[in-house]
Amino acid sequence: MLKYLTQPLRRTTEIARRSFCNSKLSGSSAKVTAATTTTTPTVGPLIEVREALDGWSDKLKEAGVSDIDFNLKCIVSHVLQRKFNTVPDDFAQLKFNSEQLADFERFLEARCARMPLQHIIGEWDFMDITLKTAPTVFIPRPETEEFIRLVIENYRKVEHVNMLEVGCGSGAMSLSMLHALPQVDATAIERSKAATKLAWENAKLLGLHQRFKVFNHTMETDNYLPTELQDKQYDLIISNPPYVKTEEFQFLHPEVVVYENLNALDGGSDGLRVARLVFELACRHLRPGGQLWLELGNDHPPLVKTIMNMQYQGRLNFVQSYEDQYKRERFVQLERV
Amino acid sequence: MFRKLLRVRCESLVRRWASTDPLSFQNEKLQSYLESLRQEYYALRVNAAGNDRLYARLTRLDPVVNSLEKHRALQRNITSEKDLLAEKDEDMRALMEEENNVYTSLLRKQEEDMLQELLALSDDEDYPAVIFEVNAGAGGQEAMLFAQELYDMYTSYFDHMGWEYEEFDRETTDIGGLRHANLQVNDPEAYNWLRFEAGVHRVQRVPATEKSGRIHTSTASITVIPRPADVQVQIAERDLKIETKRASGAGGQHVNTTDSAVRIVHLPSGLAVESQSERSQLKNREVALKRLQAKLIHQQLQSAEATKKATRKAQQGNLNRNEKIRTYNFVQDRVTDHRVQQGGTLHNLPGFLEGGQQLSGLIERLQLEHRKQALMELLETWQPPPQEAADKN
Repeated sequence: MLKYLTQPLRRTTEIARRSFCNSKLSGSSAKVTAATTTTTPTVGPLIEVREALDGWSDKLKEAGVSDIDFNLKCIVSHVLQRKFNTVPDDFAQLKFNSEQLADFERFLEARCARMPLQHIIGEWDFMDITLKTAPTVFIPRPETEEFIRLVIENYRKVEHVNMLEVGCGSGAMSLSMLHALPQVDATAIERSKAATKLAWENAKLLGLHQRFKVFNHTMETDNYLPTELQDKQYDLIISNPPYVKTEEFQFLHPEVVVYENLNALDGGSDGLRVARLVFELACRHLRPGGQLWLELGNDHPPLVKTIMNMQYQGRLNFVQSYEDQYKRERFVQLERV
Repeated sequence: MFRKLLRVRCESLVRRWASTDPLSFQNEKLQSYLESLRQEYYALRVNAAGNDRLYARLTRLDPVVNSLEKHRALQRNITSEKDLLAEKDEDMRALMEEENNVYTSLLRKQEEDMLQELLALSDDEDYPAVIFEVNAGAGGQEAMLFAQELYDMYTSYFDHMGWEYEEFDRETTDIGGLRHANLQVNDPEAYNWLRFEAGVHRVQRVPATEKSGRIHTSTASITVIPRPADVQVQIAERDLKIETKRASGAGGQHVNTTDSAVRIVHLPSGLAVESQSERSQLKNREVALKRLQAKLIHQQLQSAEATKKATRKAQQGNLNRNEKIRTYNFVQDRVTDHRVQQGGTLHNLPGFLEGGQQLSGLIERLQLEHRKQALMELLETWQPPPQEAADKN
């Protein structure tokens, strides 16, 4: 049983790894060609984008990729080095030169191998900011935008917020908070070295690094925060901890299983292994009245409510849960007593 | 001697003509209108405190009354004819006459200024923003290409004027044409300029799409709908149905779909809007909501505008808002505005389409004409307030 499951996956990994190396190379060459074409616009024969697209829709469909038009548009605008929202939906009058065409095909090949779109194009938009992405670093999901929007609305009128994020990944949540609310100071911890680096890089790219700190630290029982932060108290803690149950791993999309860091997903048998650590951390590092906001999986909020009532009485209170845009109860708001 | 007589005759003729011209300061009606404005102004100065509407009126009256007071001060400096005749000393009289000449020319200048202020006052409609629309008309692809050119012209004109604008909706075609676009210009001045651009714009040229080299005539129309300050559309979240492509199946960390396109249905009105122009779903939702808001405002304004139009029609006969206002003739490199009686034709079409000084100058002329017309109409129907008449008696 397991063999049937892992074999095709291994194969996709293989293809993907190969095409990723290619695309990485071509990514830099794309930049070079863009620079040269501006000086000498007539380099090589030009091909209509619409012509170049021929057949790819079917190939992507065959590979099981959904939302194909959008994928194509993202890749086309990336290859042409144009902003997504300036590229017309029908690609009218757009042309590739031969190098761009080669990049385009390589990227689509990678997409057919189910490499996440966000990794192929190397950046992604999250709310009002654009973040760099990197392989192995978790890519923020659309629901997380909804989650952080809720948090932002809740803190819009608060005078000063000292915030901690547990497991910041690419920095999406903290940096969006900082971008939207000037009164926020954010500290983040992250167990992956690559992600820590990426989050810091993103903060600098966005010019938000003055109000942002990130520490490479793995949260464990009785070692919740790095020594520098040992006696810190926060007004707000946010986290999108790994919450996928171990038994659910077999149902994940190849984009997720093959390309994303499983440490950012694995929530143990009930999906709350890391969340429980965050509860403990909150008891120690949240000031009385401070809040903990979590994005979790579908059936978690009722479970969290039970856990609060059973184990955290007098320490943490369950305030409310919220639905995401797909009407699933996913977000919880807790308060330190 | 004869020459002097002639001059006197001429002057009296000029004066008589001037007193029939409703916009001349010799005109008694204008004089008493100005006086009534002055009275209103001083009355407001006492009463306006704390009332926004009155205060706004006061600030608008201020330059006119200011100008009027200056005018009166100048008038007082002019030595009257009686005094002039009474003066026995020749030298002294020459000096007085010279002085009078200087004051008279100053007076004329002041009158011009005052007229400008008065004309500006006749823009009685004040709106914080306008909804500006470009629609391709008759002429297929060519009309859409022309609509795009108009769109470019107006957006650069907004930049030229330093107005802020946001785009709500734009639908383009394959070959770079524009079906329609919907913008909001956020400037209180915008309506007083852009209102003269509403109507049908006609283009005559050999289109890029034409194979056999014939000249085509196509049209595009501009709609300008003022957005009053009090138009507020409240959209309640529970009235919205937000749809994305991923309707069901797992979410969150389990999948990595880039589910960004958004469609919003406003349940009470049945209006639906979409956005897929951004990579972020939340951004698309914001864009779609803005579009929805624009559409709802548009609907509301159009019904308000329709009733207004009906009354205007009843008053003024058949005033067709959709009449052709301007022709852009590429073959002859000219722009003709059909509302300007003399000199409505300008050359250098490409320069005009840049939306800079040339367009601005034309609108300014239309604006001046409109203001004069408005002021004359106002004076025609204006009656001095009764208590003033009583005061005079």
